[in-house]
Amino acid sequence: MTVWKTSRRNFFAHKGRMALSAVAVLLSVAFVCGTLVFTDTMNTTFDKLFAATSADVTVSPRSPEDNDRLPGNGKPVTLPASAVEQVGKATGVKDAEGAVNSMSVTVVDSHNKNMGSTTGAPTIAGNWTKNELRSMEITSGHAPRGPTEVMVDADTADKHDLKIGDELRTIAATGDINAKISGIATFKVTNPGAAIVYFDTVTAQTKLLGRPDVFSLISVTAESGVTDAQLKRNVATALGDTSAYKLQTQKEAADANKDSMGSFLDVMKYAMLGFAGIAFLVGIFLIVNTFSMLVAQRTREIGLMRAIGSSRKQVNRSVLIEALFLGIVGSVLGVGAGVGLAVGLMKLMGAMGMDLSTKDLTVAWTTPVVGLALGIVVTVVAAYIPARRAGKISPMAALRDAGTPADGRAGRVRAAIGLVLTLAGGAALLAATRADKSSEGSLFLGVGVVLTLIGFIVIGPLLAGFVVRVLSALMLRMFGPVGRLAERNALRNPRRTGATGAALMIGLALVACLSVVGSSMVASATEELDKSVGADFIVEPAGGNPTLLVDQAVKSLESVPDIEHLTGYKVVGAGLTAPDGTTENKALAAVDPTYQEDVRRETVAGKLADAYDKDAMSVGDTYATKHHLKVGDRLTVAFKGGETAKLRLAAITSDDVNIDKGAMYINIATAAQYVPADSLPENMMMFAKAEDGKEKEAYAALKDALVKYPQYEVKNQADFKQQLKDQIGQLLNIVYGLLALAIIVAVLGVVNTLALSVVERTREIGLMRAIGLSRRQLRRMIRLESVVIAVFGALLGLGLGMGWGTAAQKLLALEGLGVLEIPWPTILTVFVASAFVGLFAALVPAFRAGRMNVLNAIATD
Amino acid sequence: MTTAVTIPRHGGTGGRTAVAARARQVVKAYGAGETRVVALDHVDVDIARGQFTAIMGPSGSGKSTLMHCLAGLDTVTSGQIHLDETEITGLKDKKLTQLRRDRIGFIFQAFNLLPTLNALENITLPMDIAGRKPDAAWLRQVVETVGLAERLKHRPTELSGGQQQRVAVARALAARPEIIFGDEPTGNLDSRAGAEVLSFLRRSVDELGQTIVMVTHDPVAASYADRVLYLADGRIVDEMLSPTADQVLDRMKDFDSRGRTS
Repeated sequence: MTVWKTSRRNFFAHKGRMALSAVAVLLSVAFVCGTLVFTDTMNTTFDKLFAATSADVTVSPRSPEDNDRLPGNGKPVTLPASAVEQVGKATGVKDAEGAVNSMSVTVVDSHNKNMGSTTGAPTIAGNWTKNELRSMEITSGHAPRGPTEVMVDADTADKHDLKIGDELRTIAATGDINAKISGIATFKVTNPGAAIVYFDTVTAQTKLLGRPDVFSLISVTAESGVTDAQLKRNVATALGDTSAYKLQTQKEAADANKDSMGSFLDVMKYAMLGFAGIAFLVGIFLIVNTFSMLVAQRTREIGLMRAIGSSRKQVNRSVLIEALFLGIVGSVLGVGAGVGLAVGLMKLMGAMGMDLSTKDLTVAWTTPVVGLALGIVVTVVAAYIPARRAGKISPMAALRDAGTPADGRAGRVRAAIGLVLTLAGGAALLAATRADKSSEGSLFLGVGVVLTLIGFIVIGPLLAGFVVRVLSALMLRMFGPVGRLAERNALRNPRRTGATGAALMIGLALVACLSVVGSSMVASATEELDKSVGADFIVEPAGGNPTLLVDQAVKSLESVPDIEHLTGYKVVGAGLTAPDGTTENKALAAVDPTYQEDVRRETVAGKLADAYDKDAMSVGDTYATKHHLKVGDRLTVAFKGGETAKLRLAAITSDDVNIDKGAMYINIATAAQYVPADSLPENMMMFAKAEDGKEKEAYAALKDALVKYPQYEVKNQADFKQQLKDQIGQLLNIVYGLLALAIIVAVLGVVNTLALSVVERTREIGLMRAIGLSRRQLRRMIRLESVVIAVFGALLGLGLGMGWGTAAQKLLALEGLGVLEIPWPTILTVFVASAFVGLFAALVPAFRAGRMNVLNAIATD
Repeated sequence: MTTAVTIPRHGGTGGRTAVAARARQVVKAYGAGETRVVALDHVDVDIARGQFTAIMGPSGSGKSTLMHCLAGLDTVTSGQIHLDETEITGLKDKKLTQLRRDRIGFIFQAFNLLPTLNALENITLPMDIAGRKPDAAWLRQVVETVGLAERLKHRPTELSGGQQQRVAVARALAARPEIIFGDEPTGNLDSRAGAEVLSFLRRSVDELGQTIVMVTHDPVAASYADRVLYLADGRIVDEMLSPTADQVLDRMKDFDSRGRTS
């Protein structure tokens, strides 16, 4: 019991010194809990949404996409209206409604502005049915009647300031629908962002599906007392042959919807938890340092405890109990902060256009449990080494007059272990750069990264000695004696400096590594674009929405003058059978022959031009090698939604590229020969080349042609490269943002080390002040020490990270990442910024040191 | 209240006044109202230049406080303190720091040296901080006087307690301060090491003309001084010139018994 008491007293007596460690635990736990709460809330939101929108039983047509993994052709998949009547006659059916539902639409206002979500949520057009009343209600106006009326969801109306009477144009594959808003319907559950428009049934059928006698699906409502499963069986019986249909109960439909959503949420969740893990790792350094310093400062006290009869175990335990207190306090606060963080994230998502409601805020019981367990376990484990060291303090320490015992030189064993690990890691990284197969290469890379990281952490104290001396020679010397004092202070406890720097190293190494890979990606892609792209312009869906180009837009593009050629690019699904008898589902690139000028491809056999002949095609060399194909062989191609053809292999292209890797080309005309027009997919993208000297005019004209179709955009090569760069830059920024957590914890670690060092050196500081060190000089001394520690961490981190990045690039060269580009501006910025971080970290400790009372400091009690 | 009279034993004050530091009506009080404690009660004192002055008194007599005030480490509640012609009472921290750096030397009881610096670096630290070059010849002389020539590259942890205090003395001397303050400089040393340090202080006064003020409760240490000031209850109650250890001891016994009987 006394152990508890002394631990508790110690903990509260030193709560100031524990504060930063508690903040580190708090931040990491908050990040974990925030992530869990946020993703759980998203799940709840989608669960509620899907549960509310699905009918008791849904009957939908079984489309080929359900079986294979081929892309859709952008055409609506339908079932006959007669099926609705059939279903309606089934026993237990209260109501069966034919519903029209299309996600390949774009809705624009009278200024041609896209009304769709900016966060990747779909735009949905359909008919207004009773089933919609499960999740929505009309809050103003009335349901659409006739071909010129449309109803829109309230969230979209709010976002774009739409009112009843406003004109909306719905762009569908089958044509544009111009209609005025007749009403606004509001969701009763949270709709995270889909934009929804409703027409009356006939308009929806004719304009969205192209025919008046078909539907997209049937919503079936059960009579009371009939279970969904029962209803599903009855409906199946009523339909007789169900091979053309897919029947789902409400739960099945909701689960299917959730699955497609869930994998995205899982990726996000685990990515964020990964970053939380890094923050925890960094936090461990902070906690180890804190307890090491507390134990060192308390040496005499602990010696006294030992002298009066405490056992090693008791001393050891007393430190661990303090860690337990710290863990509990930090984690409890962290769980609370995590919920706050989740709410903040939801607000942030709201600002970006994704609506989430705090009504759905979901805190599962596991969340606080996981948060508390993680925070407490990590803290106690981190405190174990210092606790053991405390247990080893001899009772003699009570009698010794030593102030703070020196930590001692980093051991030889430690150096040897660290060196071996680092060398082994370096060898693994080297092996990764030389690997022939990316699978084994990535294993080497992973092992190399982990080993070099651990190696650097282990030899950190040794490196600290070396690096600090070099830094000191380069930059501290000019600060004269104050610089020298700072150098000596940074060097006096290499283990502490090493651990503090290593914490910063981890985050910065990741930043450096990713920035190297990112800029190499941009450089490699740019180089390849320069080498192989001959087209002046590319037309693509804007904002990465996977929309195919509707006919209206293609027609508009075709009418643009000053264009030498316009190339269509379609993706056509097919079952491909090689002469060796193996059949695989493949996506063929059905393109206009001018495509060979737009994107130049090397061939390893045959001439690419021949592949555009009637009944000819090309394949990539990977496929060709796998199936021992040579030019002239015949391949059996079963076009999806079309006939089966025998095509002659006319060319084999090299796969040593990034653009169109492994693509199999056929002429659009060849595809059209075997696939009926209503099954032939729309263009996925288009390429254009301007007539010589008319590039500017053509670019402007192409842009004009797409004004009415804001879901697509045209880019010239410069735009395209910029966009590529922006996309990678954006991705990197998100990752940097998430790494910021780890870096903040590391900076707290620097503050913590300095603050505790200042306390520890109270008498020294008093002495220096007494013999004439001014406050300014004292503050500068502490700042310089801080800068040296930060720069030491940055040097290690950036060096390590650039090594990792270079190894990764060499490995990814197998995947086409051929150009290594070290982003020096980024690296230098991080380096300089780290020096400023050092200055910043020293702010409070330096201020407090300056304020220290000289007399108290030197008082000889 | 006794006003100490200055008797310069050495010449060579070089145009300066014979008084290195003086305190007039100095009061130092802590707290207020009922908890008010007066550590120094209207003290007047002159510290003679080129003399070795010891300040004695029982615990709580205010001797350390007096030294701290004279040295510009502590502020006074009222009264004035002059260092040579400079009034240090009322100086801002920046000026005080400069003054301590350039004109005052310190020797503390313990923890005199920075553990990260070697002996020589510790000795030259005040001048380094000030950005002054030490006078090489003088430095050599000081180092030889204190007998540390062989140990200049050693860190404090590699020196004995006596050696550490000698380094501290050398540091105090090296910058040629107007006045050196010692706060029980031999308090942590055995009698032999203590004697060594005290002889150095004595020699620096005799041979180098240094002014030294030392707080001590050790009659033997006080016997090295030219003059002993006795403090009790925040006042100077007596003084003794050219004391011997026995005289000092007797006088202290005297105070003790008087304290008990009164």
